Amino acid sequence: MNIRIPSAVLAALTAATVLTGCSGGPDAESGDSKVLTLASVDQGSIEDVVKAFEAANPGVKVNFTTGGADQYQQQIRTQLASGTAPDVMSVWPGNGNPGATYVLAKPGYLLDLSSQPWASKLPAGVKGVTQYDGKTYNAVFGLNGIGAIYNQEALSKAGLTAPTTWTELLAFCKAAAAKGTPAFALGNQDNWVTQIALYALVATTVYSADKDFDTKMQAGQATFANSEWRTAMAKYIEMEKTGCFQANGLGTSYEASQDLAATGKTLGIIQGNWVVALLKGKNPAGTFVLKALPATDDPAKFFIPGAAGAGYGVNAKAKNKELALKFISYIMSPEGMSVFNKKQGSLPALPNTGYTIDPSLAEVAKFINDGRTVPFMDQLWPNAKVQQTMLSGLQEIFSGQSTPDKVLAAMDTNYKAGA
Amino acid sequence: MIDAPNVQAPDPVAPDPIAVTPGRSRVSPPWWFALPAMVLFAFVVLVPSARGVHYAFTDWDGLDPNYAFIGLRNFTDMTSDPDAMQAIWHTLLIAVAITIIQNGFGLLLALGVNTIIKSRNVLRVFLFAPAVVTPIVTAYLWRNLLGPEGAVNSLLGAVGLDSWRQNWLGDPELALWSIVAVIVWQFGGYSMVIFLAGLQSVPKEIYEAAAIDGGGRVRRFWSVTRPLLAPAFTINLMLSIIGGIKLFDQVYALTGGGPGHATDTISTLIYKDAFTLGEFGYSIALAVVLTIIVAVASTGQYFFLARNERAAS
Repeated sequence: MNIRIPSAVLAALTAATVLTGCSGGPDAESGDSKVLTLASVDQGSIEDVVKAFEAANPGVKVNFTTGGADQYQQQIRTQLASGTAPDVMSVWPGNGNPGATYVLAKPGYLLDLSSQPWASKLPAGVKGVTQYDGKTYNAVFGLNGIGAIYNQEALSKAGLTAPTTWTELLAFCKAAAAKGTPAFALGNQDNWVTQIALYALVATTVYSADKDFDTKMQAGQATFANSEWRTAMAKYIEMEKTGCFQANGLGTSYEASQDLAATGKTLGIIQGNWVVALLKGKNPAGTFVLKALPATDDPAKFFIPGAAGAGYGVNAKAKNKELALKFISYIMSPEGMSVFNKKQGSLPALPNTGYTIDPSLAEVAKFINDGRTVPFMDQLWPNAKVQQTMLSGLQEIFSGQSTPDKVLAAMDTNYKAGA
Repeated sequence: MIDAPNVQAPDPVAPDPIAVTPGRSRVSPPWWFALPAMVLFAFVVLVPSARGVHYAFTDWDGLDPNYAFIGLRNFTDMTSDPDAMQAIWHTLLIAVAITIIQNGFGLLLALGVNTIIKSRNVLRVFLFAPAVVTPIVTAYLWRNLLGPEGAVNSLLGAVGLDSWRQNWLGDPELALWSIVAVIVWQFGGYSMVIFLAGLQSVPKEIYEAAAIDGGGRVRRFWSVTRPLLAPAFTINLMLSIIGGIKLFDQVYALTGGGPGHATDTISTLIYKDAFTLGEFGYSIALAVVLTIIVAVASTGQYFFLARNERAAS
């Protein structure tokens, strides 16, 4: 056997597999006015929406694909760049990720939806992140909030009640840890989880006092390192030191953290409302309630991160523009919105849809109605790198490889690098 | 690495002398027999790769049709990017560690199941079994087993070794070695099979002769087994070093490159830079560097081992 040639071939093959990546096969079928192509990240809920849409529009067929966020972003960018993208596609609000409204609207890939009747009805806190350059491009149907989600049974078993101030929170953590059931499950092995608790603290410490923080950041008049972000970061670390989280959060995955909270090994979890459905899946008998995470001792000034989830945009070069707009109108209608939000455990983006909110999310709804929410921070950042620096930086802080000052300074550097 | 006097002058037609088993005819097929395969290879692999490489010299974001040529800036940026330097170091460390540990382990297993113990056939199947499972599946399994409350820590606790319990994947000092351990667990059996094939081709008479000459176990291994296993070593080392350098699935599934960047390899960084940050130009430049490392390591190693094979035979 001659090994020389295979070694060269192997090396070349290696290069090839690394370099060429993937080019997703599009399912763009042209000409047929009854066929709509769709790519979605809403696995588990889009199926029902498509079924309902097809039932409401006899003869119409929706060809759709679904995928996880990473995979989807890669696929949709390749398809848009090569002119083979579907008619309707999932688009994230604001900026800061490769599939976000700003990123896709800027090179002209999305159709202007400003004239759609729902565009003007979106709440003020949401409207901004659906727009680029003053025009609406993203049909956002659901809202999400982040807070402390308590396992009510575990809470009463421990004889504790949900804290309402920062001081109470620390005492609560100590008491919970002393009983052998730490307050909150932390799944920081999955790096996106690291930001959740920080966002919950930042909403109050940064935005309660300074609603224009993002405007100041954009104008170069503020920095992460010299703002209340430092306070929030310090509080996050203080929570860890006080024993608010179970041991070894960095070795615990998101999935494992759900197990802890669902089965009462911790009294709760700091997460977005989307986790409630997952917790119920693991413990159908459990009762889970979302409350604002106390970041100061003044509950009247609490804010929560409350933001638009991924919505849908229309391809500027859609093969079937008419049907695409019909689909968008459907998901923004009370029926479409209800199907989506019921499945996802989120809240409808438009008011007065006649949708009954899950009792576990009553507090989120109240904060949204009171206008005491701020978009997830990354949705207003100029590039994706700021968030990635924060995520790996937080893991490094918790494993003693970095410090809050270093991480905030690195975030500032990436923020200033711009788009 | 390349020792000129020992290397045959490259002759595109004549087969490599070391590769020809005695007694087989030396007729070589005409080169154009390979033409259809080479044309296919060129169009499916070489041309797209070359077209990909040109993006390494641009600031393309993977989306915007308007991009600029920026010369070698992606490559110079790399030298001042601590994440990239760290990833290159991790990649080399993992590749070397896997190559040594996996093959050492595989060789011991092969020697073990090559004996006349009764259960050897069953053992061979068991030891090889992990290698047939998709790496991503075993990685997710181990991610659960190695969790703070996972089976590994529970087992250590149950047998009274509480002080050995570790945050296997969450401790930056330990995570890289946990990944190496998972890979060795999965592919040790694979190396074993290749060594075993080599061992079984060693004629028994040679061992008998060595034994009659008074050679003990160790001496017989060193003077008979080792040189005759040289081709198996070549294949095993080559496969494990290339596999180690390219490593992606297991790292991504076990730690995602974390905590922080503590286990990022070049491949995970390529993925993150391209698909999370949209820095395609930079990430393709990283891919070019990876390709060069693989090419240098595999050809260098091949020549080195081929020389040893000849020296041994």
